Amino acid sequence: MSPRPAAGARLQRMLALVPWILANPGSTIPEIAERFEIEERELERDLELLPMCGLPPYTADRLIDVWVGDDGAVSIRLAEYFERPLRLTPAEGLALLAAGRALLAVPGSDPAGPLAAALGKLERALGATGGVAVHVGRADHLGVLRGATDAGDQVELDYYSFARDEMTTRVVDPERVFNAAGAWYLAGYCYRAEADRVFRVDRVRSVRLTGSPVAAHPSRAGVEGEGDLVYRAGPDDLRVRLLLGPEAVWVADSLPVESRKERARGQVEVVLAVSGDAFLERLLLGLGPSARVLDPPEASALVVAAAQRVLARYPAS
Amino acid sequence: MTDRLERMLNLVATLLDTRRPLTLEELAERLEPAYPVEKAARRRSFERDKETLRDLGVPISVEPVDELGGEAGYRIHPEDYYLPDLGLGDDERAALHVAVTAVRLEGGAAQAGLRKLGGIEGAAAPPVAQLEVTPSLADCFDAVAKRRTLEFEYRGEARALEPYGVVHRFGRWYVVGRDQARDAGRSFRVDRIEGVPKAGPVRAFEPPPDVDPAAFLRADPLSYGDEAPIDAFVLVDATRAAWVVDDLGADAVVERRDNGAVVVRLRVVNQDAFRTWVLGLLEYAEVLAPTELRADIMVWLQALSGGRT
Repeated sequence: MSPRPAAGARLQRMLALVPWILANPGSTIPEIAERFEIEERELERDLELLPMCGLPPYTADRLIDVWVGDDGAVSIRLAEYFERPLRLTPAEGLALLAAGRALLAVPGSDPAGPLAAALGKLERALGATGGVAVHVGRADHLGVLRGATDAGDQVELDYYSFARDEMTTRVVDPERVFNAAGAWYLAGYCYRAEADRVFRVDRVRSVRLTGSPVAAHPSRAGVEGEGDLVYRAGPDDLRVRLLLGPEAVWVADSLPVESRKERARGQVEVVLAVSGDAFLERLLLGLGPSARVLDPPEASALVVAAAQRVLARYPAS
Repeated sequence: MTDRLERMLNLVATLLDTRRPLTLEELAERLEPAYPVEKAARRRSFERDKETLRDLGVPISVEPVDELGGEAGYRIHPEDYYLPDLGLGDDERAALHVAVTAVRLEGGAAQAGLRKLGGIEGAAAPPVAQLEVTPSLADCFDAVAKRRTLEFEYRGEARALEPYGVVHRFGRWYVVGRDQARDAGRSFRVDRIEGVPKAGPVRAFEPPPDVDPAAFLRADPLSYGDEAPIDAFVLVDATRAAWVVDDLGADAVVERRDNGAVVVRLRVVNQDAFRTWVLGLLEYAEVLAPTELRADIMVWLQALSGGRT
C-alpha cells in the first residue's frame, strides 16, 4: 500500500492545526482535539513531530517551538510561515458552498442568518458569488412531517404510489425526513405494510396527526443511509427482460437492473425488477421503439394494453 | 512515514520562506530528513512529495532560476498559499458546521475545508440531506470561480463554455453558462461530460452582471432543449391535476374545468422530453394542441399498440 494517502491526510490536518494554535495560544489538548475531530493521542503525536520541523539549518532558533503546559495548554512559536492555513481547494470550496446552499434551501432556514452570511463571505473570498446553487425540491407537507418526526407523533397519510398508480391511506410512525437526489423522503414504520417504508413527501396528498405517539419498533432494520433511497426489489416483484437500443441504454445505467449483457449494434439486454405495473407502463411507453420486451409475454401485453388505453383518448377524427 | 511527513513539512516551510526559486540540488542540500543521494532516486522522491503536496492544493510554482531560462527551481508564493482571513464569526462557523453535518457529501472535502476555516464550532446536526459529488464537478467550480473557459466533449460534440455556475437539481449537477459556438445560455449535466474538461487561462471572460446561474435551470427539465419553442396544451384529468399544477406551477394553468380537470400550457423545446412527460401521466392526460404534437403521440402509441386502435 502506498503511504501517500495517510501521509497526505495527516499533513493536511497539521497545516490547518498549526495556524489555529498560533492564533489561539493557550488552548488545551482536549479543546483542540475536539475542534479538529481527532483523538487526543493523535494530536499529541502531531505536536511531538513539530519540534523536528522548521527551516534549515535546523538550529534551535529555526525549529518550531511547541510548549504544552501542565494544564494541557498548547503554545507554538517560530512557525510564522504557517501562520495562515492553506487556501481552500476547489473541491473544499465547492463542498462547503454546496452543503450550505442545500441547507439554506430547506424550508424553514433563515435566509438572512449566520449561514447565509458565512456563505456570502466564502463566495466572495473564492470569487464565486452565486456560483453554486442547490435546489432541494418542493413538497407541500414537509413542514408538518418534519414537525411530527421531531415530536414523535404518529401520522396518517394519503399517499400516491407512483409505481402502482394508486392512492392509499397509511398510518406511519415517522422516523426521519431527509432529502436525497433532489427529492424529500419520509422514512418510518408503515402499519399497512407492517414494515419500514420510505415515502416520497411530494407524493403525500394529505397528512393528519392520529393523536398517538409513535410506537417503539425495536426490530426495525433501520432506515439509515443511502441504501434506503432507491427501490429495492422484492422476491415477488415481476422480472422483465428488455432489449434496449442505443437511445435507451441509459435505462441500464439509471435503474437498478439485475443483469446486463451487451448485444450487437450497441444494444443491451437487461433484467429489470418491476415494483408495479404503472412503472413498467410509463417506462416502456416513454421508450417506445427503442426498447423491446423479450419476456415474460404478460409484460408485453401490459404495454400494448396501456398504449391502447392512452390511444383511446385520441379518436381518429 | 514520519520521516517523509517531517520532510514534507520542512519542504513547505522552506519553499514558503525562500525569496527565489530553489533547484532540487539546493533543496536536497537543505532538507532533512535528507533525500536519497543517488540522482534518479532523489528526483523520484522529490516528485512524489511534490505530487502529494499538489494533491493537497499546495501551489508549488516551477520557475527558471535565472533570466536565461536555465534550470528549473521551485518556490511557493505566499499570496498563492495563504488563505485570506474570511472574517467569519463564531456563529457563522457554527452555522457552517451545522451545514456540513446536516448535508452529507461523499468524500471529506467539506470537513477538510472546515478545518482550514478554524475547525468545528458548536454542535453537529442530524443529517437532513445528501448530495452526490460528480467527478469533474470541482473542475467546473474552479473554472466558475477563476473565469476559465471549459472545453469538453458532450454527447460526441466538442463544446466551449464560459461557466457561470454549478447548479444541483433533480439529483444531478449541471454546469451552466454561455456556449461560445452557439452564443447562448446552455446547461450541461456534469456526469455526462466525457473525460476531464480542459480549463483555459484564468480571467478569460466576465459573466454578465447579476447573472443568476440557478435561473438557467429554474424551468422544468422539459424545457432543456434546442428545438424552436412550441406551445403545447395538455388536458389533465382531475385525479392528476394537483400533481401537474404542483409540478409546473399555477402559471401554467390556462383553464380549470368544472369536473376538476385542468388545461396546462407548456413551452416545448424538446419533443422527446415532452412526449415522455405526457405519457408518464398514462391515460389521464391528452395533448389538445398543436396538431403536430397530438399526431406525434398518436403515431408513437399506434406503433406500441401493434397498429390496432
